[in-house]
Amino acid sequence: MLKLERVDACYGSFKALDAIDMTIEAGELVVLLGANGAGKTTLFNTVSGLHRPSAGRINVAGRDVTGAKPSALVASGVVQCPEGRKLFPDMSVMKNLWLGGYVHRGDKRAMQKTLDDILAMFPILAEKKNEAAGSLSGGQQQMVAIGRALMGRPKLLLLDEPSLGLAPLIVKQVFETVAEINAAGTTVLLAEQNAYAALKIASRAYVIENGRLTIEGDRESMLGNEAVRKAYIGA
Amino acid sequence: MEALLQQLLNGLTLGSIYGLVALGLTLVYGILHVPNFAHGALYMVGAYVAYYVAGELGASYWLAMIAAAVIVAGLAVACERLVFHPLRNAPPIHDKIAAIGLLLFFEAVVQMYWGADFRRLEAPSNTIFHFAGLTLPAQRMLIIVAAFSLMGGLHLYLKKTLAGSTIIAMAQNREGAFLVGINANRVAMMTFAISGALAAVASTLFAPINLVYPAMGHLVLLKAFVIIILGGMGSIPGAIVGGLIIGFAEALGGFYISGDYKDVIAFALLVAILSIKPTGLFSQGVR
Repeated sequence: MLKLERVDACYGSFKALDAIDMTIEAGELVVLLGANGAGKTTLFNTVSGLHRPSAGRINVAGRDVTGAKPSALVASGVVQCPEGRKLFPDMSVMKNLWLGGYVHRGDKRAMQKTLDDILAMFPILAEKKNEAAGSLSGGQQQMVAIGRALMGRPKLLLLDEPSLGLAPLIVKQVFETVAEINAAGTTVLLAEQNAYAALKIASRAYVIENGRLTIEGDRESMLGNEAVRKAYIGA
Repeated sequence: MEALLQQLLNGLTLGSIYGLVALGLTLVYGILHVPNFAHGALYMVGAYVAYYVAGELGASYWLAMIAAAVIVAGLAVACERLVFHPLRNAPPIHDKIAAIGLLLFFEAVVQMYWGADFRRLEAPSNTIFHFAGLTLPAQRMLIIVAAFSLMGGLHLYLKKTLAGSTIIAMAQNREGAFLVGINANRVAMMTFAISGALAAVASTLFAPINLVYPAMGHLVLLKAFVIIILGGMGSIPGAIVGGLIIGFAEALGGFYISGDYKDVIAFALLVAILSIKPTGLFSQGVR
């Protein structure tokens, strides 16, 4: 589904990603663990086309998309739900969701169906549909952000720290939702600091440190890995 | 009392024109952060296109207005593609210099073809309405009706259609807009096209009252900048309300103080309002 080959990304002379090799198969839920500033968001933005890689290749579903525009990537099924949500704060919840389906605007009926599914998944959003997205609580805004990303009917969903700043109960709900989305057939790449909760729903994980992928493995080997436990699980 | 009402009516006419011009300016500023000094030139070119189509080709006023709107919208898009788009990552001062360059270029081209003479665009109707002691020429009536219908239409377009919403989305969260797949180039072109069309319609509406000449955009542009600063840079309601404030202030000031000072009044008002509310009346960007 997604294949990165020796991808570098720079901010000026600072190398934020260094020779990233990553492969995600269709249907997988892969977690990307890393501390603040390790390069998770840069990796996501590079895959989404917001940031141009300075070297390397990015393949999505067998097609080379290195340097493609964000709008082209969304149209081909790569949708990011960004850190900090990046909603349209003064628009209604409904309008935010509807804009999430912008690339499918030619097919209003399919958009409506996706919208109905999302509202069934997050009933609270149906209640708040006419309120400004910016006026919602953090957890509700996160649901709008996930819902907006799903409106793009992603084949590959990039979720950047969806649990950030949320109450533990809401975090649990968010992870359950992510697992559901994955079970419904969407490939998910999830960046998290909340390693234990994330690994519980993941099939595999990568650890990123200072722009390099340092550890890679399936759920069991990650949960059993001493370095991972020390650094990200705290047990 | 009648004199006051008459001046309010005149102020409404002026304010409608200013509002239309300021709307285009504020949209481009709010969404693309380009202070488009060439906007006054687009306004001027709009009047010349209308003058050419109606006066020289002999077509109807309405056809001339449509032609002006379409051609200036195209011209505005060309400015975006050829000048502002390549400068999108350059320091902001480059946009400003390029915009002034465009202003001078358009004026020079128009002057080359038509000279610096004053020209007249015939009004579609010379009827004058009288009611309750007030006089309202049909053209002024047309200006008020057309301007407010356009503003209403723009509002519906931005709020009710998906294409219009992409413009607002870009203003509210640029990265968020990219991530749902909104194409930045498309939004930029659409914004410039709308702003050009509004300027051209405004000048075609106003030209039968105010003559057509190469420098006709200068004062209008300066006032449009006053209006969007006053209304809050990037604010749509701010542009409309600001336009009306300046229109009324000019009409009333010109009548009660002195006609010679009417242009000074707009700027005096700017200084007064900004000293009380430095961020402008509606300072939250395009909403």
